[in-house]
Amino acid sequence: MTTYASPAVKTNRPNLVAVGTIVWLSSELMFFAALFAMYFTTRAVQGPKIWAESTEMLNIPFSATNTTILVLSSVTCQYGVFAAERFQARRTGSLWQISQWGMREWFALTFLMGAVFIGGQVFEYAELVHEGLTLSSNAYGSVFYMTTGFHGLHVTGGLIAFLIVLIRVFKAQKFGHSQATTAIVVSYYWHFVDIVWIALFTAIYLIK
Amino acid sequence: MKTSWILFVGLSVFYAILTVIYWQLGGEAVGITAISLSAGLALIVGFYLWFTDRRLGNLLPEDNQQGEIADSAGEIGFFSPHSWWPLPVALSASALALGLIIGWWLVLLALGALIVSIMGMVLEYERPTTSAH
Repeated sequence: MTTYASPAVKTNRPNLVAVGTIVWLSSELMFFAALFAMYFTTRAVQGPKIWAESTEMLNIPFSATNTTILVLSSVTCQYGVFAAERFQARRTGSLWQISQWGMREWFALTFLMGAVFIGGQVFEYAELVHEGLTLSSNAYGSVFYMTTGFHGLHVTGGLIAFLIVLIRVFKAQKFGHSQATTAIVVSYYWHFVDIVWIALFTAIYLIK
Repeated sequence: MKTSWILFVGLSVFYAILTVIYWQLGGEAVGITAISLSAGLALIVGFYLWFTDRRLGNLLPEDNQQGEIADSAGEIGFFSPHSWWPLPVALSASALALGLIIGWWLVLLALGALIVSIMGMVLEYERPTTSAH
């Protein structure tokens, strides 16, 4: 997009890509509202017994660690945005000088942490299936896999988005406003997915 | 933009109050979830507008009482003049959804096609200047 990149002028209006992303994210929230509503209704209809039996299988310390990794990945993502806002695509020092990191390094680290989260979730699913909780075993299994599964798909989509940002920055000749905008809107999405997970984790693992 | 964010944050406060009332009147789980997250829906937009307003720190031509149409002229953003890529994106997304009915083999094929076409769409204008284009 370098041939079309706008000159580095001070913007005086909201960025259209960012506005579009925000409006889309607010509609995404309502998608998750449907999933939350499904979870709470099924819980109310099925009664507390099936919930008490099924939530015993959950490995809280493991998922809490996984949650921490995802929350921290939001922090590293934000550092990537700070780098993008000063148009710094790559690091200026060695790999161990974290203060010299550019957007590329921070986003790569965020990608790794997100991938670890997904890996952890796959491991958790495998354990639960092993213990007999599947999508079709009972009502709890259905809502558990539907809510956390759709969230997992969103995280996977975010990982693909990070890859796209990294490829775009790699292909672009210089890091300009359009590359920074892409990085910033992907970070909006990542923070959103992170906040949704905190709510899901609270509802499913803590409140039960 | 002040009017815009007050509108959305106000909507959010309204939904939050409504959630409490609905809950106190003995509302069920779906309604409480839907109304409280509607507050979130408005708050996301409201917070973004408030934050951007603070960051830009200027009056938009739309908010200026004496504003003219010409005041908002200038560069809006980048828009693709012509592209074939949305078509394969839409086709593979349709195939992905159809695959859920027809069979998992189609889901896998469509997923691959979807990723390739999304890559094609977002990277279309990202060409190194050294290439033949």
